[in-house]
Parts: sequence; C-alpha cells; structure tokens
Amino acid sequence: MSAPRVVVRMVWHLLRADFLERVRRYSFLVTLAATVWLGYLVGTGKLQLWIGTVRGTFNSAWIATTMALVVNTFLSLAGFYIVKNAVDRDRQTGVGQILATTRMSKPLYTLGKALSNLAVLGSMIGVLVVAAMVVQLVAGEDRRIDLLQILMPFVLLSLPMMALAAAAAVLFETIPGLRGGFGNVVWFIVWTALIPLGIQVGGLLDPFGINLVNGNLERAAAMAFGPAKRGFVLGGIDHGNDPIQIMRWEGLDWTPDLLFTRLLWVLVAAGIALAAALFFDRFDPAQNRIGSRAAKKRLARANGAVEEAEPSFVPVPAVRLTPLPEASRRFRFLDVLRAELRLLLNGRRWWWWAGAAGFLIATLAAPLDAVQKIVLPLAWMWPMLLWSSLGAREIRFDTTALLFSAARPLGRQLPATWLAGVALAMLTGGGAAVRFLAARQWDSLGAWVVGALFIPTLALALGLWSGSGKLFEVIYLVIWYIGPLNQVPAIDYTGATAAGLASGMPLVFLGMTALLMGAAVAGRRWQLAG
Amino acid sequence: MNLSIEQVGKRYRGDFWGLRDFTLNLGPGVLGLLGPNGAGKSTLMRILATITRPTEGRVLWNGEDIAKTPDGLRSVLGYLPQDFGVYPNLNAVEFLEYIAAVKGIDGRAARQRIDELLALVNLTEARKRPLGGYSGGMRQRIGIAQALLNDPKLLIVDEPTVGLDPEERVRFRNLLSDLGGERIVLLSTHIVSDVEATATDIAVVDRGRLLAHAEPEALLSGVEGRVWEWVLPSAELPAARERWKISSTFRRADGVHVRVVSAVPPSPDAVPVAPTLEDAYLSVLEGHRAERLEKVA
Repeated sequence: MSAPRVVVRMVWHLLRADFLERVRRYSFLVTLAATVWLGYLVGTGKLQLWIGTVRGTFNSAWIATTMALVVNTFLSLAGFYIVKNAVDRDRQTGVGQILATTRMSKPLYTLGKALSNLAVLGSMIGVLVVAAMVVQLVAGEDRRIDLLQILMPFVLLSLPMMALAAAAAVLFETIPGLRGGFGNVVWFIVWTALIPLGIQVGGLLDPFGINLVNGNLERAAAMAFGPAKRGFVLGGIDHGNDPIQIMRWEGLDWTPDLLFTRLLWVLVAAGIALAAALFFDRFDPAQNRIGSRAAKKRLARANGAVEEAEPSFVPVPAVRLTPLPEASRRFRFLDVLRAELRLLLNGRRWWWWAGAAGFLIATLAAPLDAVQKIVLPLAWMWPMLLWSSLGAREIRFDTTALLFSAARPLGRQLPATWLAGVALAMLTGGGAAVRFLAARQWDSLGAWVVGALFIPTLALALGLWSGSGKLFEVIYLVIWYIGPLNQVPAIDYTGATAAGLASGMPLVFLGMTALLMGAAVAGRRWQLAG
Repeated sequence: MNLSIEQVGKRYRGDFWGLRDFTLNLGPGVLGLLGPNGAGKSTLMRILATITRPTEGRVLWNGEDIAKTPDGLRSVLGYLPQDFGVYPNLNAVEFLEYIAAVKGIDGRAARQRIDELLALVNLTEARKRPLGGYSGGMRQRIGIAQALLNDPKLLIVDEPTVGLDPEERVRFRNLLSDLGGERIVLLSTHIVSDVEATATDIAVVDRGRLLAHAEPEALLSGVEGRVWEWVLPSAELPAARERWKISSTFRRADGVHVRVVSAVPPSPDAVPVAPTLEDAYLSVLEGHRAERLEKVA
C-alpha cells in the first residue's frame, strides 16, 4: 500500500474507532437530546435572532442561520467540553500505549483526534439540520424547504467554528497544564473574550460569524424598514409594547471574500490540531514538560522509586502482625472528615494557599459592598477545581471497590466527603461571614451559608452522576459568570445582588441544595447497588 | 466463624449468568479458588465482598444475610480486588490512614498497624513517596496492606500475586498461610502453584459453577495412578496433543518429555508419576467438560 494511502487509512480508522466509541455511549444520547432541546428553543422562539424589533420570516435561510449562530455561540463552549476527552480516553483505557508502539506519527494522531471531535460535533449539527426543517414546517410561515439555504449556514458558519473547538480541545488535552480543570477555565475565558471581540471587530477575528450575519441583517432591516439604531440579539427578548416587524431575508450572499474568511478558520483549526503534536507526549508517562521545580523533583523521586522498585533480592526480616484489639474498631466521624479534607487539599502548592489566604484577607479588609459583589464570588471560584473532585474521585481513581467494601459507605464516607467540601467553602469565604456578622447583615449571612452548602452539594451530585468533575466545572463556571459576577438575581447563589436577596433566592438555592443532596445520595446508592 | 454461600447466582445483561447455583460452606482456613479466565471467580469475590448483589440465592456471614445487613461483614472484611486504583498524590501512609479512617479504625491503632503493614509488604522505605510514582508491584503491595488494615476475619484476595516479584510472591504466600489459621481467607487465582503453597481447601470453578470442593490431598488422590510421563520425538508431539490431554511438556536432549492425565497408559513407554495439583485441576476441568459434551450430544 502506498504511503499516502497508509496515512489516509490511519487517520480514517483513528477517527472511526474514536467516533464509534463515543457515539455508542449513553452520554452521547444525552448530548443529542440536549441538541434537540436547542432546536426546540429556536422553534418556540425562546432563542431567536433579533435586529431590534425586526426578525425574518421563518424560511429556510432564516431558521438555518439562527440555528447556525446558536451552534456557534453555545456549542462552541459546551461542545469543547463534550469532546475534550479523546486523548484522555486513550490514556485511561491503555489504548494509547498500544497506539504509541505503532508507526503512527504524532501529527497524524492529533489530526485524527481533532477530526473525530469534529465528527461528534458534526453529528450534533446534523441533528439540528433536521430540526431546522421540522421547525420551518411547523412554524408554517414559509413551507418551501430550500435545502441549499438550510445547509449553507451550517456548513460555512458552524463547521469552521466547530473545527476550531475540536482542534482546540485536542491542543488543550496535549498540554499538561491545560488537560484538567484549569484548561476548562481557560477555554471559558477564551470563549468569553472571543465573542465580544468577534462582534466588535469582525472580519478575520470573528470565528463565530456573528459580526458577519449581524452586518448583513442590519442592512436588510434598514432596507426593509428604514435606517434606525437597532441592536443584535440572539436569545429570548420581551419587546413590551413595541410592534414586531417581520422582513423577508434570503440568506447571506456567499462571496469569495466571505468564503475565504470561513475557510481561513478551517485552516487555523488544522494548524492548531497539528501544533498539538508538538506538545503530545505520545503516552510516555516519563514526560512532564510543565511543572514547578518541586513537581519535577517529586517526579524524579517517583521515577527513582520505579527504577529501584524491583530489586533482585532484598532480605527482609520476618514481620508478624499484632492482632488489632477489638477496642480499636470504633468508628469516629471526625477521623474520616479529617481524612477527606486531607484528600481534598493534598498536593496544593504554595501559590494555591497564598491565593486562598489573599482572598480571605480581601474578604476581611475590602469594603463590604465589594466583598458581596466581587470578592466573595472570586473567593468561591478559587477552590473550584478541588470541589470538582467530589463524588467523581472514586470512579476516576478506581477506588470504589476499596471504599464500598468498608462499613456504611453511604452513612459515613459520603457525608464526610460533602462536609469536607462545605468546610472548604467556609474556609475560603470565611472572611465574608465575619463581615456580614459584624455588620448584622443577616440576610447576607444567610445567603453566605446557603452558598457554602450549595456549591459542594452541586459538585458532589454532578460528580456522582457523571463520574467526572468536568460537568460541575462547566456548569459552575457558567452560573458563576452569569449569576454573581454579572449580577443576574435569578442565578445569584452567593447573595451578591440586592434583588436576589430581596426576592428570596437564597431560599430557592437552599431548596435546590436539598434536591441535589437527594440526587447525590441516590447516585451513591445506585453505585453501591453495583 | 462461618461463611455460607447458598445457591447463589448472578445474571448479567443479555441473560448471561456469571455465576449459577453456587453453594459452598466455609470455616477458618485458606480456600483456593481455581478456575480458567471468565469462570466466575471475580463475580463470586465481588458478591462476597458486598460490592455486587446476587441475582438469586444468599450469602450468610455467621448466619446473617450479607445482602440485607452488609455492614456486619464489612467491619471485619479485608478485600483486595483484581483491579483497583490509588490516589496518586497521596503517599503510602496517607493513603492507608485514609482507608483506616473509612474502615473505622482508631487513629493510634491505625498508625501502629500501618507501620507493621508497610514493613510486612516491604514498603517502609517508600512510605513517603507519592503512590503515583509506584511500580505495579509496589501498588499491588499497597493493595495487600489496605486489605489487612482492619485485621479482617474474612480476607478476600483476587489475583493477589499479579505483578509481584518471586521473592514478594513467596512472602505473600507465607503470610496467607499464617493468616488462614484464625480467619477465613479466600484466594482467587489461576496460578495453581500459589494455591498449592497456601490452600487448606480448594474449589474449582468453571462457567459460573462449582465443579469440586475438596482438600488438596483429596483432589490429588483423585488422579493418583492416572498421571503419566513418557518421551517423544519432537515430530510426534502434534499428534500426541490431538489425542491426549497434555498437562505439560519440556524438552530434553533425548526428546520431549510429555505429561498426560489419563485413565489408561498413553503409550507402552509411559510411566506413572506422582500427580501435582495442576494435574488434578486439569483433570477436574476436563472431566466436567467431557460430561457436558456428552449431555449435549
């Protein structure tokens, strides 16, 4: 077989095997269901494109473009997290060790994984293509299905963005520091920075295509209803008494310039996927390019341990075990709690403690208003990657058999895990509680208590049911960004907004905490039942 | 101290039975559980370790059903699973302290026990190193240590010698023999020599069913006079393999020395030899498979 054919065959099978492995999991069905739900939101007008009060007739071009932009904004975030496990799966399953011994080159591997990621995201887009047609027929404003107008926005707007997310996911997985939860935070920051940049600057800095569509729609609206200052909105919006204006829009005019800007992002994605090969360790555990001097020392010591692990013969004196007295078999909850806390905080480097201490001091010293609105939310973002291990740690490190064969795992270890998470919240946000107490702000103090209970409970429940910390990291990042940070009262779980406090949001979150705790207990019960 | 397994069965998805109609009664001693891959050994171990609930039947620990009241057994249970993980950032002492706390062992007693166990599994020097840097054999020894933390009355070890070097393997066998005197030890393995060295009783399992349960001497006497050895030219070995159930071969200058379990001498030159446990085990397996084929026919 010729060399190019061998390469194509390798990439194809890498893509195929990885794709099949993913789509045959139940979690993929959940992902598809969430995609259908996105389509439903568009169909019911809850997610809609608006140019001021102007929207387009529900024809093929309008619905497909709306859905393509929904894909680009929401799926570029969620999709990244969904597919950011392709390399890790090979690492965890040991398949990577087998692949590493083949002739497959690093760039081929990273490219194959990026293509597999794109195939997964593409299958979700495929669901939305069908959904777009269904929505158009159900809406009934224009029942003529124009297949080209349906496909063009998905192919030319969405696929390049998805290719970018797919390639970035592989890049993040190959860089040691970005593999885990920290990488999830970094992508969230990149995503929140790219959206406004794309909208404002556009052109070659607009991978989402929002500026592209916005400019075209603004011109179409001006032609239909005259020039006016309108705004671009993708979401649900209440126009009050303003009359809704409907224009006929036949889609973007795909000029060579436009095609080039979209193609450019595909090339950038391919470049990112190939660049990932530079960081890819080819499943060699001995490689650790990033890390502190202490981490490298630890690794060197560990490697030393491996080298000296199997001596040919080491005479060891016979040891007899002292029988354990019956009196020593008494369970102490505090011992387990201490052990869980140590497990939670183990391995934190000095900078983590310095950051936590900094937030504690800031909550004690900053003006009370700033503590409530900024410092406390930030202080409760700091331990996010520690909370994300709650509930998922046993699956991730395969210690379930050891822990679940101990007495009362549901009544002892689970509450201790949860309380360790609560203690962490109280520790990092403790300064704020002291301030609220001193200022006799009882409602704020109540909200603080609810927040300290809510966050670890959310982490525990999501960790238990998903078997990974990623779901918590993504959901917590989003609600933290929208709620406390952007002051949206309905998602304010820390008491950062006066409106949230006044409308009794802490009570709502207390109720949610109880529900999540129920879910966590049910999840552990389900795990114990095998 | 009694562990009674009464007609236990475990059905998996697709109507596949991992274990079926399994009955066994155990008192103090070391039970060697032998069987080929996929025989149902690990399923049985997980059921006894209260990890998996049986689909049918029951397991009684000192008269109590472990599916209904698992904590009675769990407080005196030591379990080393076939596959298990550790927290890579903890060192050996921290990890064992964590497991001790979860198992409900008093802090001071746990510390003393951990010191002894680390010496026992030859990890005293590596006690402060992160477990993430341990080799497979060292990690296996941590698994052994955690199983012994609570001085268990029932010790279940599933393929415990995997990854151990010969010296550690011998030491672990000796430890199991010592432990078996005052508690019930279940040793699951497909390495017959491990069982030979430690077991006071042997159970042979295949396709989810118990084929035999006896003392090693009884199993051996079952094949007494039925194990033969003779020398073949290398070229005749394939034909002999087709005709006889060969338990082992080894090449020498005079040809291939072949060992066979058979009721009749396989060759006029064959001489009877003293049976090993491996011969007895293969004989039980073969006998059962032949019986099954006859029934099917």
